[in-house]
Amino acid sequence: MRNYIAVVFREKSKAYEGLHELWQLDSAGEITVHGTTVVHRDALGQFRVDTKETHPALATAVGVGVGALLGLFAGPVGVAVGVAAGAGLGAAAGAGLGAAAGGIVGAMTDLGRADTRSRAVDDTRFVLGIGQSAVIADVTEDWTSAVNDRMLALGGTIYRRAKSAVRDDEPWFYDNYFYPYEYVPSMDSLYW
Amino acid sequence: MTQVQKTDEARKNMKSKGHDSLDRVRAAAQELHGAISDAAAKRGEAMKADLQAILPKAKAVAASLKESLGAQNEAIKKHLVDAVQHVEATQKHVAESLKATGHAVEASVRQAVADAHAAVQKISEAVAAKRTAESTHAHP
Repeated sequence: MRNYIAVVFREKSKAYEGLHELWQLDSAGEITVHGTTVVHRDALGQFRVDTKETHPALATAVGVGVGALLGLFAGPVGVAVGVAAGAGLGAAAGAGLGAAAGGIVGAMTDLGRADTRSRAVDDTRFVLGIGQSAVIADVTEDWTSAVNDRMLALGGTIYRRAKSAVRDDEPWFYDNYFYPYEYVPSMDSLYW
Repeated sequence: MTQVQKTDEARKNMKSKGHDSLDRVRAAAQELHGAISDAAAKRGEAMKADLQAILPKAKAVAASLKESLGAQNEAIKKHLVDAVQHVEATQKHVAESLKATGHAVEASVRQAVADAHAAVQKISEAVAAKRTAESTHAHP
C-alpha cells in the first residue's frame, strides 16, 4: 500500500536517525521509499524544511508544497487552508521564503483545525510542536510493522495517510517536494 | 494468531533480497538527480563543468533502464518505459543547458532536475511493484 507517513521526533538528531532508518528499510527491501523530506519547527514556531534548492522560485514552490504537506496530515480542511496561505505568501516574498511560508502555513493550518474542532476528531491529529522535527515520506509498504517497529524504537510518533485518499482529496503533486534519496543537509545549515 | 502476528511472521520469513539490476539502476538514477540538483546550485563555468560530466551518466542510466526492460512483467515495464522517457528528457535538457546562455541555462537545468526526479519516481514505482509481486508470490 502506498502511504504518506509523518514521524514526529522531539529532537532533530533523532529525525535524521529516523530518516536513515527509513532508507535502510528500503535498502533491505522491506519497504520502498519514493521520497522523504525533513521539517523542523523552531523556537519561534516557524517551520523550516531541509532543502538544497537555493533559487527563490524553487524555495517558494517548496514553501507552498510543504504547507500543503503539513496540512495533509490534518485532513482535507488543513490541506486547503495550508495551500491557500502558502500561495499568497509565495507571491510576495523573496529568497529563503520556503521556510517563512512553511511557518505561516503551519500556523494557519493549526488555526484551520481549531475552527473545525468537531471534524478534527476524525483526523490523524498530526502536531509538530515547538522544537520538534518530522520526517515526512512517501512509501510503499506491505506491512506497517516494519516502519512502526523502527520508528517507535527511536521514540517517534507515526502518522499515516493513504496516498489514494490524498489523491481523492486534492490534486496537488506532493511528490515534488520529497528527495528521492537520503538527503541530509550540511551541518552548517542545520544551525539556525 | 492475530493479523499483526501473521504479517510480522510473513515479513520475518521473507528472504533478504539481494540488490538486483533494478535496484542498481534506481541507485544510478538517484545519483543522477543528486548530481543535477547539486549542479543547479552552482553558477557559470562551475555549473557547466558539472553538467558536462553529468551527460554521460544520464546516457548510461537510460541504457541500463532499456537493458532491464526485457526481464520484467508488463506492469513493471510500463513504469520503466516512462522512466526511460524522463531520463531521455533529462539528457536533452542537460545538453540544452550546455549550449544555452543567461536565464535559458537556469530554465534548462530546472527542467533537467524535474525530469530526473520524475525518472527516479518511476523507477521506485517499478521497484515497489516488483517487491510487492515477490512478496505476494512468496506468501499468497
